[in-house]
Amino acid sequence: MKLKNYLILLFSASVLVSLSILFVPGLGESIESWMLGFLARNAAV
Amino acid sequence: MARKLVVVLAQIVVALITLPAVALATLYIENRDNDGPSVIFPGGELVSGDLYTGPEPDWSFTNEVGTVHLQLEDPPRSRLTWIEESNGKIYVTSDYMGTWLGRLWKHWAVRAYEGDGLAVLRINGVRYERKLVRVFYSPELEGVIENKIEKYNSRITKEAIESGETWVFELAPRDQS
Repeated sequence: MKLKNYLILLFSASVLVSLSILFVPGLGESIESWMLGFLARNAAV
Repeated sequence: MARKLVVVLAQIVVALITLPAVALATLYIENRDNDGPSVIFPGGELVSGDLYTGPEPDWSFTNEVGTVHLQLEDPPRSRLTWIEESNGKIYVTSDYMGTWLGRLWKHWAVRAYEGDGLAVLRINGVRYERKLVRVFYSPELEGVIENKIEKYNSRITKEAIESGETWVFELAPRDQS
């Protein structure tokens, strides 16, 4: 993939991720819950 | 062929870094003006909840409280934190203060120490106007250390407080000089 196309794809995916978190109900909370679980399992005590 | 493979791998790596970073930044921005913090991200000004007025409460009830919302007045950002009660006073601590990264992460503690320390605490939906006053190690803090270890299984030590690795703040009444 050419660099220009790659950057367009990456930018589009980034915008999609942001908009999904902002406008899909519960998605932000789900991501945060997953992060919390991940940190609880892997963080050093 | 090998060069193409490296380029594709590099593109995948950049995407795997960029997309989670965008997600984290979005979550951070989404939370920063909320009425209170989330578990991971700081929030904005604490607005909801009755504002406590009256005599100094019996803070022993905080021994049954896991986390509280703490907001500085300047800047009006709130975060979730632990709370320790000892000898009728309440305290919060900030760890990892011995490194620049820790002080960057726990910048609220730096602001509280260098600024006026005015803060709002929200416990069980009730807001308390307090003042964060940094306290340095003295035998009086043994109760805070014991409470934090017992309550949170913390690794706090007297040495960590003395060395500045852990900062301790009393949540003092605002009218206390």
